[in-house]
Amino acid sequence: MDTGNRRTVFLLAFLAALLVAAACAPTEEQGQSAGDAEIPDEVLIGATLPLTGEEADVGGYFKEGYELAFEQINDAGGLQLGDQKVPVKLQLLDDTTNQQTAANLGQKLVDDGASALLGTYSTDLVQAQSTVAEQNQIPYVNGGGAATAIYQRGYEWIFGALAPIQSLAISQMKWIDIHQDKGQLPKPAEIAVIWENTSHGEDYLAGIQKFAEQSGGDYKVVMDESFELDTKDYSAILGKVEAEDVDFFMADAHLPDFLTMHRQYIARGLCHDIRTYGARGSEQDAIEVIGQENVTYILSAVWWNDLLVENQPKVNEDFIRLFKQKYGRVPEWYGALSYDTARALFTAMENAGSVDPEAVREALASLEMESVVPFGTLSFPEETGYQADYAFLVQQNTPSGSSPIIYPNELATGPGIPKNPNC
Amino acid sequence: MKALTERLPPWLPSRVVIIFLVGFAIVFALPFFLPIPETLHGLMAQAFIFMSAALAWNWLGGYVGQVSFGHAAMFGVGGFVSARLLLAGAPLIMAWLAGGVVAAIYGLLWGHPTLRLRGPYFAIATIGVGEATRLVMTFWTSFTGGSTGVSLPIQGGSQYQMYWLTLELLAGVVAASYVLRKSPLGLSFLAIKEDVEAAGDVGVNASSYQDLVLFLSGLVMGLCGALYASYFAFINPGDMFGFDRSIGFVLMGAVGGIGTILGPVLGAAVLVIIQETLIASFPDLYLGLYGLLLVLIILFEPLGLSGLILRAARLGGYRPSASVAAGGLSSSAAKGRSPGAGPGRVLKEPPT
Amino acid sequence: MKQALDLAVSSLLLGGFYAAMAYGLGLIYGVLRVVNLTHGGVIMAGAYLTWVLFTELGIDPYMSIPIILVVFFFFGVAMYWGLVRFLPRGAAGGVQSLLLLFGLWLLMRNVAYLLFKGDTRSIQTSYATKSVNLLGTSVPVTRIAVFLIAVVVLIALHFLLTHTFTGKAIRAVAQNPDSCTLAGIDVERIYMLAFGMGTALAGLGGLFVATIFAFNPETGAVELLKSFVVVVLGGLGSVLGIAAGALVLAVAESFSILFMPSFLTAAVGFVLLVVVLVFRPGGLFGEKVLR
Repeated sequence: MDTGNRRTVFLLAFLAALLVAAACAPTEEQGQSAGDAEIPDEVLIGATLPLTGEEADVGGYFKEGYELAFEQINDAGGLQLGDQKVPVKLQLLDDTTNQQTAANLGQKLVDDGASALLGTYSTDLVQAQSTVAEQNQIPYVNGGGAATAIYQRGYEWIFGALAPIQSLAISQMKWIDIHQDKGQLPKPAEIAVIWENTSHGEDYLAGIQKFAEQSGGDYKVVMDESFELDTKDYSAILGKVEAEDVDFFMADAHLPDFLTMHRQYIARGLCHDIRTYGARGSEQDAIEVIGQENVTYILSAVWWNDLLVENQPKVNEDFIRLFKQKYGRVPEWYGALSYDTARALFTAMENAGSVDPEAVREALASLEMESVVPFGTLSFPEETGYQADYAFLVQQNTPSGSSPIIYPNELATGPGIPKNPNC
Repeated sequence: MKALTERLPPWLPSRVVIIFLVGFAIVFALPFFLPIPETLHGLMAQAFIFMSAALAWNWLGGYVGQVSFGHAAMFGVGGFVSARLLLAGAPLIMAWLAGGVVAAIYGLLWGHPTLRLRGPYFAIATIGVGEATRLVMTFWTSFTGGSTGVSLPIQGGSQYQMYWLTLELLAGVVAASYVLRKSPLGLSFLAIKEDVEAAGDVGVNASSYQDLVLFLSGLVMGLCGALYASYFAFINPGDMFGFDRSIGFVLMGAVGGIGTILGPVLGAAVLVIIQETLIASFPDLYLGLYGLLLVLIILFEPLGLSGLILRAARLGGYRPSASVAAGGLSSSAAKGRSPGAGPGRVLKEPPT
Repeated sequence: MKQALDLAVSSLLLGGFYAAMAYGLGLIYGVLRVVNLTHGGVIMAGAYLTWVLFTELGIDPYMSIPIILVVFFFFGVAMYWGLVRFLPRGAAGGVQSLLLLFGLWLLMRNVAYLLFKGDTRSIQTSYATKSVNLLGTSVPVTRIAVFLIAVVVLIALHFLLTHTFTGKAIRAVAQNPDSCTLAGIDVERIYMLAFGMGTALAGLGGLFVATIFAFNPETGAVELLKSFVVVVLGGLGSVLGIAAGALVLAVAESFSILFMPSFLTAAVGFVLLVVVLVFRPGGLFGEKVLR
């Protein structure tokens, strides 16, 4: 074919393609769920959780909490939207503990018509996924991301049920302070802070540093080292800790890293009066994997504890009872917070009387709900970027396997032991 | 028109220019004629980014023959530099270009010494560079946000506009790919790929040419990283600098067809489609699928998917020019020269 | 200084581990001139097989060493016979074989995901958290066990290569395959043997990884790179070279914590890799550069 013919053929093909395209033009796409003020037959709520991958264990616990909440509300007929009762459906996908996947799946859930999203677990995944919710202007309520960085981006659609990590660190330091004042712990005390290099870990370090600065020399952070998530070998860090010879070993890690790091800590024969891994330590998994005698006296601070029964609204008791009934064991904070996160979304939708994103968003921003969290009320104040703030429960593992609450005093169920008798 | 045609260099036939312009116009105008669902619209924008990246990778891997397993290093640098600039209030295009340039310079920094290495040695070195970059960047929390990452300012409607912006980048990269391939410059690259010593003998300064390609490749990779960051409004070092990301570029180039122009474009399209289809139901499977594709491609069709298309086209009577044979991982000249090659069947040669 | 002694001890133990892990890669490259990118995949597979034997059959990991060696030897032979022998050798065809083996590695990763999901696994033997006091420092029992086994294996290898006919044939083929054919050695069989042995050693490396660290399907990439560092550092001449290269890497990594944050010590190996490749592709012990 010579050039002239070629051009003609091409032009014809181009025109043909246009015609075909015009003829096959797809029908108008389904209306976006945003801006839909009608009450649907069924409310679709989307969520992803790390059901496989490094955080698979906790992902499973969060799933339990979500499913319990959904079951409970559907058993009562569904959400009370106006004068109708509408059932709710949870569309749960596995994000495999991967940030990109969590974000992509979040987008997919929105595209598939979710009215709102329930968050995934762990700060990293929440931070990645919440961006999608903000871009699509869909309410995003999570009980899995506690780092303040998530809520300080000026976003309007992201609501966090977990109190901030900095407060976690400070609560622990306050309990330690009580005992230092009594002379039971060294003054000044040297602290090694080992933090995961995420905004979660940064918050933890910042909390301890802040407290140390304000203590006027009672506490000194002599060493701080970060580590990558899912590090397999902590010998470099632990070697440094050993060489520095500090008084307190304060780490911030998620469950898999805590398990790996603590096993190596024990294998090295290390021992400190105060040993903590932030929110980790009291999990049943820890006892199973590392052994009871190795996790005794580990300090931790969590958002909820099953011993939190005094002065708590009835919803706490009910929750524990229902959870035991459904799963045959006592819940940990993962189940409690995921349960209440779902409840918060339900309550907001009921308060708004619809699933319209803007209305739900406003209902969330003004929410004051009776809750399982310490001191019984859950809300999302605007000042903190819509992150809930309430007291942390500092706990310590006892040799018998329990983890009593040792601080704050109003909620304490047992004394804490500042000096580790095994060291 | 004829006057313009006469002024074009001999290796740039006018029909190629026309096809290019018409193609660009069609894709550009597409969303105005067809009601494309928003998901597809966004997916196409992502595909354009990866097509550009794959083409840029191919300049180094296919044209010069230096396969890099560490290109994510530049992708990531571009993304984070741009993100930080945007967070500091810089204008969009400026931030993107800055990302590209910094990435290019970074590429040159590690590339200049390592490009002296040939073949597998270079490839292994790039893995080292990629991983070292990832570790340092992950550690540098104030720049990359640590393992958590960085959120970019969200501008309403910007995801929709990315379609055209990414298309424009792709157009530029395709044009550049053509120029780098067909021009006399491209012949020098080919010479280096075939036999770097002989090339030196005829006056081709391998070092400078390779540096040039790496710089350009890094520039585009950085731009792609910047566009990717702006599209998703969130990036983290594990993903941007990850080995999986680098692998992705290799796969797009190799599965699509190393050394060709259609190849990386096809490879990128296929990978984006597979990822999108599998992500909900089989999130871990797609890497294995690519692995299988790669094995099959290497064994049976060294020119990848574009090679398959060429075969089909040949059945329809289309005769490719001789230079197409210069695509592929190694040309026929190198085949007979492996020292210590054992007996046995030699792998299928690319079509000539 | 106590810390220096600590570091010296841990470097030594780590060095043994790296040497055992790297030898398979070195053997295959030295004899076949193929950069075996499935090395990481086999290490991962070895770790999983060890784990399966432990959790399903209750076999202590160190007792499963013979099983691992045999299984992976045959796996390697099968890989050679089915795939590797068709690959072009040497630098000219290098990239093709690189990509092919790389594709195979991706496949292996995926099979692991399908079989075991992406969850991290570890082997919880009764002695996993016990430690022993060595020269004033506490060393985990598992690390000592790995070191001792690694030393035994390397000595056995050295003996095999220098005192048996097969071993000498392997070394001969590594130097000059064409003359070997002339001398009547079945070169193809030697290639197959070497690939099998290399794979078996990689599998053993996986066993070591499983007992010391936790692992998941992603495991292997870092081990591959470190193995490559060891091979490039130590040259391909002998077991001794590999051992020395491994020790250099281990020392560099361990002592670097004195100068930099622990986080970055993981990058030391990679930087070393690039530096050594650029400046001395023949390795620290000056073996002929292999083209």
